[in-house]
Amino acid sequence: MPHCAVVIVGGGLAAGLVARQLARDGVETVVLERGADLGPGAESRLPTQRDELRWAVRGGLMQDAAVETCTHRRSRHELARPMRRLAAFLPGTGVGGAGNHWNGQCFRWTDYNLALRTRFTGRYGPQAIPPDMPIQDWGVSYDELEPYYDLFERLFGIAGQAGNLRGELRPGGNPFEAPRQHEFPQRPLEITEAGRIFAETVAREFGHRPFPSPAANSPDPYVNPDGMRLGSCQYCGHCDRFLCEANAKGSPELLLYPWLRRQKGFTLRPHAHVLGIEHDPTVGRARGVRYLDLTTGEECFQPADVVVLAAFTLTNTRLLLLAGLGRAYDPVSGEGVVGRNFCFQANSGVPLFFRDRWLNPFLAAGASTTVIDEFNDDNFDHTGLGFLGGGYIGVGMSSGRPITARRTPPGTPRWGTAWKRANADWYAHNCAIGAQGSCYPHRENYLELDPDYTDAYGQPLVRLNFDFRENERRVSAFLVEQSLRIARAMGATIIGAAAGRSGQFDTRAYQGSHITGGTIMGGDPATSVVSPRLQHWEAENLFVVGASVFAHNGGHNPTGPVGALALRLGDDLARYLAQPGRLA
Amino acid sequence: MNAATDSCASGLPGTGRRLFLRQAAGAAALWCAAGEVAGQVAQDLPTIYPSAPGPADTVYLSFGPEEADCVEAMVEHMCPRDELTPGGVDCGLAVFIDRELAGAYGHGDRLYLRGPFRPGLPEDGYQLSMTPAQYFKSGCRALDQNCQRRLGAVFARLDANAKESCLLEISTNRWDETGEFSLGAWFNELFYPLFTQACFSDPVYGGNRDKVFWRLLGYPGLPATYGRDMVTYRGRPHPAAHTPRSMQDFA
Repeated sequence: MPHCAVVIVGGGLAAGLVARQLARDGVETVVLERGADLGPGAESRLPTQRDELRWAVRGGLMQDAAVETCTHRRSRHELARPMRRLAAFLPGTGVGGAGNHWNGQCFRWTDYNLALRTRFTGRYGPQAIPPDMPIQDWGVSYDELEPYYDLFERLFGIAGQAGNLRGELRPGGNPFEAPRQHEFPQRPLEITEAGRIFAETVAREFGHRPFPSPAANSPDPYVNPDGMRLGSCQYCGHCDRFLCEANAKGSPELLLYPWLRRQKGFTLRPHAHVLGIEHDPTVGRARGVRYLDLTTGEECFQPADVVVLAAFTLTNTRLLLLAGLGRAYDPVSGEGVVGRNFCFQANSGVPLFFRDRWLNPFLAAGASTTVIDEFNDDNFDHTGLGFLGGGYIGVGMSSGRPITARRTPPGTPRWGTAWKRANADWYAHNCAIGAQGSCYPHRENYLELDPDYTDAYGQPLVRLNFDFRENERRVSAFLVEQSLRIARAMGATIIGAAAGRSGQFDTRAYQGSHITGGTIMGGDPATSVVSPRLQHWEAENLFVVGASVFAHNGGHNPTGPVGALALRLGDDLARYLAQPGRLA
Repeated sequence: MNAATDSCASGLPGTGRRLFLRQAAGAAALWCAAGEVAGQVAQDLPTIYPSAPGPADTVYLSFGPEEADCVEAMVEHMCPRDELTPGGVDCGLAVFIDRELAGAYGHGDRLYLRGPFRPGLPEDGYQLSMTPAQYFKSGCRALDQNCQRRLGAVFARLDANAKESCLLEISTNRWDETGEFSLGAWFNELFYPLFTQACFSDPVYGGNRDKVFWRLLGYPGLPATYGRDMVTYRGRPHPAAHTPRSMQDFA
């Protein structure tokens, strides 16, 4: 293949944002995406877009586990098993990646998350962080990211309500958010009936300050700074796991790639499965990437001045491990970097049933969620609690899809007339209080290559060493306790069984797709894979972006910081190309 | 609790309509089956869901006759004809399962089937080398063998009470023995998800005939363009909740 300035591995949200920044300078950029071009087919048209079985249950837009999956074990003393079906989290595939099938919750993370070690030791003392919890600062500040958060919100037409505008607290927004320079580009989504009950209750009974989740579901027609358009959200309940039929979800296949294709110097190659990074360790440079052109079966090489890994969390880590770029993490010594600080999220839920309230779960946008941040991250005092972290608590009505979004009260039989009756009685009258809990790194939670299992191309799968540890179990128990307190005040007819993260990690249950870490950023090459500028410590023309660079997982959805980091990287690469070297 | 139904032994045609048709057509239906008892119970109810013109002539693509009997009996028991819906066979539940097993899902689509194979904990998920179709059929056989051994008849020939106990017991792993096929895992991880998918999927897949389960729930189906309804019907019953539309209505 002809040489290009920048080759980007993965054609998802992060890649599209990096490429968008580069395209303004006409930089020759090639994006390699393993999956197909999405958008014009059955996945986005009526009536086939509304097919719950095909897209939500069978995972029509997701990574094909038959081709590539990962393996998992709870501790390094066990034998791993492959995740033969991907269920616990759902990597996407195809142009736009997981950014197409998300629900659209688009938070800025609370500012102190970027210097979490400093925060905890400053607030609770030098012994506050347990020795097996390698929390560390990310090496970047909120002030540096704020303009990029802002740009991301404008590019994706985020709907929301500011809680802190240039330091001034605003009613109705999140009082814990860091100062933002501008209001959200769009008004908040309509609140759901369940959200209304939640918001009224927590404000009246507990003095909490509920706010609408920032949403990449467009409440009105919207034109972004690139002239790309969003339609109005139809509150159809087919968002998470689906492409949007109404062109109303902020997603890369809608807002980024159609624009990029019109830019000089930009090339998108779908069906290009990247096999490896070629690099020269003696000079500390990547030469380019090898990939399989799935349409011809040919193995190709794409030489480039700069290589960017912008694939999903596991793929970024895997490519570095396969290339031997950076020392693999060793949980025994605690040394090595690639694979460390792998985190998930400790989510919890409490189902509620209201006999006399019409909650109509099918009237919902992906992110029509009403939440409170009083118990998130370090927004509350952890003294004496025995854990660190927290999560947002709220009512997230995002779908009434009948196969998977039904709930019946405890004690309902699983079949027969009584089962049918309970479904009929409660379908329109239930919701759940959900809590999205942080997950902090643990010395024994890490990624590595699996010695036994390979993908369809013969390459080793990634092995997840992961379980919920004591800290996350306590976070979850705490969030369940808070959720139950709120549930009791909401006046539900029946409160269902709370589901927290008390047992061992269950690969069968979907728990959100927010897996992070493995190629983390930081200021110290001994404990990070990339610098605060996302530049690889051992190969200066190699950059990594995505949730794989998160040093921990907080109590908010990860897409906001991914978007901000990717846009900033795009600007940094323009600087790097003009003057190669280590970016300060 | 080991009585096979007498009516079946005496050859009375019941509501196991397709089995009856198979017999009438001279097919080698070895086992008498499905639905007699469910039908009799249903007749005692005050109002019965009108029997829709069912898929009586449906040809199964994946099931053999014994598997069809077993599955029809299961879905008839788990979805009895009552005031809420027709019986499971007439709802298309067996057809749905048959079609899923005959298609990509049944043949292992999106399923990683490379070795080595290691048994795992339930939390490790599916760890067998079989395709879902192969696994499903192994389960039907294991269920019938266990029913025969423990209760004296294959599942389809048990009376309603015995069927109920059998399903309760297998679904709570009470028939599972170390080193043997786990009927609990089979029922909970394979059969039951297919059963609920059959009930609540779009009818285009063969189940949820006439959108009967969507009407039961009050799920309006398609086109689901609720830009205005989101506000108008917030907190109020939705007018289309019991007149749902499906993909076919937009074909």
